[in-house]
Amino acid sequence: MNEPLSPDDTVIRLVLVDDHRMFRSGVKAELDESMVIVGEAADVDEAIVVVAQTRPDVVLLDVHLPGGNGNGGSDVITGSNGVTTESGEPVRFLALSVSDAAEDVIAVIRAGARGYVTKTIDGRDLTDAIRRVAGGDAVFSPRLAGFVLDAFGAAAGEVAVIDEELDRLSAREREVMRLIARGYQYKEVAKELFISIKTVETHVSSVLRKLQLSSRHELTAWAVGRHLL
Amino acid sequence: MGKDGLVPTPYALPEPTALGARRPVRRMVRPVQGRRLGGVCAGLAEHLNLNVRHVRLAFIVASLGGGAGIVAYLFLWALTPQGLEVTQVADADAMAVSRPAHESVRNLLVGLGLLVVGGVLWAQQHGLNLHLGVSFPVLAVASGAVLAWSKLDDNERERWLVRDIGSGGRRVALIRLVIGITLASGGVVVLATQGLGLAGLWSVGIAAVAVLAGAALIAAPWGVRLWGELRAEQAQRIRETERADIAAHLHDSVLQTLALIQRKSGDPAEVVRLARSQERELRGWLYAGPVGSQASLASAVTEVVHEVEDLHGVPIELVVTGDRALDIGGSVLVRALREALLNAVRHGAPPVSVYVEMGSELVEAFVRDHGPGFDLADVPQDRLGVRESILGRMSRHGGSARVRRLEHGTEISISVPVSAVSPPVAQPDWGIQAEVAGQTGTTSQPDS
Repeated sequence: MNEPLSPDDTVIRLVLVDDHRMFRSGVKAELDESMVIVGEAADVDEAIVVVAQTRPDVVLLDVHLPGGNGNGGSDVITGSNGVTTESGEPVRFLALSVSDAAEDVIAVIRAGARGYVTKTIDGRDLTDAIRRVAGGDAVFSPRLAGFVLDAFGAAAGEVAVIDEELDRLSAREREVMRLIARGYQYKEVAKELFISIKTVETHVSSVLRKLQLSSRHELTAWAVGRHLL
Repeated sequence: MGKDGLVPTPYALPEPTALGARRPVRRMVRPVQGRRLGGVCAGLAEHLNLNVRHVRLAFIVASLGGGAGIVAYLFLWALTPQGLEVTQVADADAMAVSRPAHESVRNLLVGLGLLVVGGVLWAQQHGLNLHLGVSFPVLAVASGAVLAWSKLDDNERERWLVRDIGSGGRRVALIRLVIGITLASGGVVVLATQGLGLAGLWSVGIAAVAVLAGAALIAAPWGVRLWGELRAEQAQRIRETERADIAAHLHDSVLQTLALIQRKSGDPAEVVRLARSQERELRGWLYAGPVGSQASLASAVTEVVHEVEDLHGVPIELVVTGDRALDIGGSVLVRALREALLNAVRHGAPPVSVYVEMGSELVEAFVRDHGPGFDLADVPQDRLGVRESILGRMSRHGGSARVRRLEHGTEISISVPVSAVSPPVAQPDWGIQAEVAGQTGTTSQPDS
């Protein structure tokens, strides 16, 4: 991105949770100086303690972690429920995974993660994603967008009549998801649809909310039967 | 692969040296060959290094004197495992060695049985005349017990535990068990009701059943525990086999690839290609491949994307929603998609992403790269070919294609109306699908 994404260029306090030390040091090397890593953890129980102590802005969370109740990243999110940063904002979680098993990803999103990216993401995109999550927005990778389109039946043409409907995407949300699935950045989505970036972010957040709250039964069935390739 | 590429399998099952190192215990078996009745005499002779004829003679003599020989023969027959073919005696020994502590229980039973037999014989010699009315039920009890116990040795029990055995063999074993138990308990009842009438038979029968029930009650926890232990042992064995399978797979794929990557560390493109194809292979193995049948459009798309990735070593991010059966319309789309991908990989810049959406009216594919893009007025020479095989091909088949220059890169979008493709994969009626495919075939020109 050419221009700063966050209006205030504050330093973001970050906690890395991943059971692979090599991956943690790799992430550290890739992030720029606008991010400071205040803590690291290798399993669920350690992560909950570190998050409660350091109260970071964003937690980079591996989907698969040892410890806890055996649910990996989801357990960290549940265990850190109610923890806030010093400015009173809730601690936000960005899920990171190599697994791409849809049921794992959907579980961590439904537990409360604000986004999901794959571990193959490059440093710039990761910084971008962390900034977005810190600002309270949602981050969707192309795969997650494709998953949402499929699971909500939007790819087959199912569209909500009213925006508040939880089990379907609105026409606009569907357009946004389609563009993200095609590999468009938020800025490009905004340009394509002649809307502001802020509006794109609103749509994505709304889709995330639907993903977390919808009781659409296909959602779970779909996730169990499939893997985001 | 050179020698340095050979990595030892880390989780291979250790050779059973601990068991194999144990001194082989010679066990008496009943040979299949050279037997007259049950092979007991032959086995005993073999085991004790005696002449078979002498052993047989001894048994006959013992049988004449009060039937001790018959009883001994039956016990030996029941408790001696049947030998395998002569050439496999070594295997039988190995099997015998690995038998669990169950053996001691059997020895105890043999001892008890012999003690009882000895007692009976001693009693008879000291004036207690055992009539046929007594010895016949005894014989019935003995043969019933033999029938019930004879096949219930370790191998048999193992086969009982394994569920997927052909039910025939199991049924035969069960019938034998039932007949044996009936015979034995009938003998016991007749024995106990010597000289009593029918009423006595009933009351003793009920008493016998009560005693049996009591014994079963006492033995039940022990039996259940033994059963549980056996199941656990079996589960453990299955787990170990699975682990060895996984280790073998990782060794053949991941470790070999890692060794290759180390050797080719000077060639980044090759390293990426290797890592990418290994990742794909591992994913396919872990998650049993992409969704859908081999003939589905989604799997065809996946295949093409992987092919281009392998050809050029550029990672391509693929997202597919929905799926349908692959037919002419679909394969036209796949071929055009392949051209678009090659174009993006050759002239564009990564990341390259593909999104294929199979909707209810339209199948759409988008190929996006992040290269510098190109001016439509200043099209390089080789793009004319690409254009022909993408734009031209799609319009010939009732679809459409479009090349767009974005701020960062290029996007090629291809679409085919669903009527030109085929009904969704989920539709069960293949006859209708074939018909539609046939219609598509007649309306569209074969692509060459």
